[in-house]
Amino acid sequence: MPKCVIDGKEVEFSAGENMVDVAKRAGIEIPVFCYHPGLTVVAQCRMCAVEVEKMPKLQTACSTPVADGMVIKTKSDKVKSHQKSVMEFLLVNHPLDCPICDKSGECDLQDTSYSYGDSNTRYTEERRTYLDLDMGPVIKKSMNRCIHCTRCIRFGDEIAGIREMVAIHRGNSTEISTIDGKPLETEYAGNYADICPTGSLTLKDFRFKKRVWFLKKTKTICEGCSRGCSVELHQDNNVIVRTIARENKEVNKYWICDEGRFHFNSVHNQHRIVAPVVEGSHSDWATAIHRLKTLSANQTVHVLIGTDLTNEEVSAIKMALPKASKTSVFSHFGTPGLTSAAKDEAADALLKRKSKTSNLHGVEKLGIAGFEKFDQSAGLVLVFSGGRAVLPDVSNLGKAKVIGVGVFTDEEAKTFAAVLPATTFAEKSGTIVNFMGIEQKLQAAIRPVGSSKQISEILMLWQNQQGSEGHSNG
Amino acid sequence: MATTQTETLYVQHFGKDQNRKLDYYLSQMNGYEAAKKALSMNQDDIIGEVKKSNLRGRGGAGFPTGMKWGFIPKQSPKPKYLVCNADESEPGTFKDRDLMRYTPHLLIEGMLIGGYAIGAHIGYIYIRGEYTREAKLLNEAIDEAYAKGYLGKNILGTQFSFDLTVHRGAGAYICGEETALLNSLEGKRGEPRVKPPFPAQAGAFGGPTIVNNVETLCAVPFILSRGGEWFSALGKVEKSGGTRLFSVSGHVKKPGVYEINAGSMTLRQLIYDVCGGILNDKKLKAVIPGGSSAPVLTADEIDVIADIEPMAKIGTMMGSAAVMVVSEDYCVVKLLQRIAKFYAHESCGQCTPCREGTRWMEDIIHRIEHGHGRTQDLDLLLNISDNIAGKTLCALGDAAAGPVSSFVKKFKADFEAHIRGEKCPNA
Repeated sequence: MPKCVIDGKEVEFSAGENMVDVAKRAGIEIPVFCYHPGLTVVAQCRMCAVEVEKMPKLQTACSTPVADGMVIKTKSDKVKSHQKSVMEFLLVNHPLDCPICDKSGECDLQDTSYSYGDSNTRYTEERRTYLDLDMGPVIKKSMNRCIHCTRCIRFGDEIAGIREMVAIHRGNSTEISTIDGKPLETEYAGNYADICPTGSLTLKDFRFKKRVWFLKKTKTICEGCSRGCSVELHQDNNVIVRTIARENKEVNKYWICDEGRFHFNSVHNQHRIVAPVVEGSHSDWATAIHRLKTLSANQTVHVLIGTDLTNEEVSAIKMALPKASKTSVFSHFGTPGLTSAAKDEAADALLKRKSKTSNLHGVEKLGIAGFEKFDQSAGLVLVFSGGRAVLPDVSNLGKAKVIGVGVFTDEEAKTFAAVLPATTFAEKSGTIVNFMGIEQKLQAAIRPVGSSKQISEILMLWQNQQGSEGHSNG
Repeated sequence: MATTQTETLYVQHFGKDQNRKLDYYLSQMNGYEAAKKALSMNQDDIIGEVKKSNLRGRGGAGFPTGMKWGFIPKQSPKPKYLVCNADESEPGTFKDRDLMRYTPHLLIEGMLIGGYAIGAHIGYIYIRGEYTREAKLLNEAIDEAYAKGYLGKNILGTQFSFDLTVHRGAGAYICGEETALLNSLEGKRGEPRVKPPFPAQAGAFGGPTIVNNVETLCAVPFILSRGGEWFSALGKVEKSGGTRLFSVSGHVKKPGVYEINAGSMTLRQLIYDVCGGILNDKKLKAVIPGGSSAPVLTADEIDVIADIEPMAKIGTMMGSAAVMVVSEDYCVVKLLQRIAKFYAHESCGQCTPCREGTRWMEDIIHRIEHGHGRTQDLDLLLNISDNIAGKTLCALGDAAAGPVSSFVKKFKADFEAHIRGEKCPNA
């Protein structure tokens, strides 16, 4: 393997590797703004310029190919003074509105300024200001904060497949905008906020909700479709306020779709049932479990498994049912019209899949087939759902009763004999399998909302109560 | 249009409308004979002849033309292109305009030979948007050439085909930078590209591309018809062949386009002997020798040979050979403010130092010029220009920084007087 020397440290690299990335691997940070590993290299912010032996001018680390034997200095006086100067140039027109900026605390400009900038300012001229345009429901634009890195332009063009962000005017008046000021169209608009190195493009949904340093962050997987993008859920006081994309080169690279990004809002949906319900009325766990036990005993039970459940949940259900009923039949459900993993395919050119649930492929591997029609002999239809799977029509089942275990809204459950509320993807941990067959782990970001319980716990209560009538656990 | 030479290549044909016609070109300028010769030659031999000629790019950078042509790969899966840079946007430069007005067929023939030499079948003349008249004249000349079979398919009965199109810019200085020009040609925003890849590897539409200035291409037919050695000998300094067109403007008695043998005289001779000296016989204050981006020279620095290397040795540049002469009664602070305003206005806005720094410098110089300067401003200006120079993707940063640092250093007293609130010492 070829080697280069960065700040006196010998580092191996493979041909074509980027200097910023090679340095990073050696634990050396080269500050960047316009560079993003998922986008083309434009070398225009000039922040990453470093000294390369035998080259008279500073070289931008993002665009200069590393060569065997190259000697690179990232902390020489010449480099430090250049970094200071670029920071000064970037800040001469940047407003000092960090106290009310949503990006503050996770802002590349702020952090880099802290590490590489100067505490003094020499700028006394008037600052440049822009008028802002509304860019639609997802992104709030604050052009005065923009440092013209053009990541957003390249994201639209190269990743989202739509040229909607552009640079207009020229030089110091350059404005980053949408074409003709139109609202954003892409279904991946949230990424504009993720990749913006300042508070110029922020999420409207997150606006003024929380200072970022109060957020507790959990690395987990999006449950919006069978791709299973890596995400981070951010919460405070057990309320999720934001989802951001997490790098996963195999699955989603650096991006997530807006549907997945804003899916967390369903966790705190006011119509979600978060306490046991029996025959349409609020109840307690003991009563609800009793109801479940009574309706399932000596019955043929048709068990509907949402493909938004984890492998662990499905296995536990499969183990519990034979003990609790006469016979049981299993089918899975999730996306209307999509009854088998074989029919799951790409829904767009970037990330989205036809299966709108996360574990279709895992559930099917556990030997459960897609729901076609109700078993006529069933006396009970038992629905397990994580809240993302779309229920089949259960309103006209004749004599069979319906009990829901999982996440349901008032509307969905209005004909149910009982609802035993369980957890959403954000409140549980477990294994899911994406369309590529990759096993990924959900991590609970918050405690179960209301008195919801994990499905495993509900199954345990059900089994325990089979011998000990009336045990209260509500 | 004057000359000191007994024989000139270009300027003797300037000034008369009928000279731009094909008839004149064929009868008076040995038109398309060089192309006939070239099309029977081996491509490497043509490039070799151009290398021998010591022709250096006339757009500003002065890169050896033959060497540039040699960078084009022999085989390419993508089409190759020859692009003529007729953007001529460096302030003070107006020589290419005359070449396009009066000798358009010279340019067409030069492109035909260049296209053949590098294996390109498509040529573009990217002309600045303001040159509406010249674009029209070029198109008329191209039509004439097509009609007589000097362009199009199977030129002069050979297997070689070459199509030529005039593409008009929309008024941006930056589109004179070759990669910004290519972006603009492709219909993109006129912004310089990251190099490498250089245009010879991946230029217009991703194909290997050579971008040459108008005057550079106009020299090619002469080199082919009379030989590289003959052309090289026209130059009077090493590594610089041919004659060179100077655009002289400002406070001289006879401004205009002049043709002199490369390196055959000093700036002083050009200004006083050729251009008749300073207007109203005033004293000379300053000379901007190679377009507005060239660092300024004081009146005692003009005994320098007006060519690429002698100029570089004294810290300025020949650039596009646009010599702007400033007399003693003109305010250099005001002049620098105008230049700084130009570069701030023309920065494309990509690179941080140029986007932010050019405007900052303009603001400071504007304050000084209008009596609101501060003593620390001059050091600040020098520091800002230093932070821009060499720190940007293209040469516009250097173009903006050079005038500021040279004016402030060489005419410090004038700036200090403005800051002290004194009346401009000269104006």
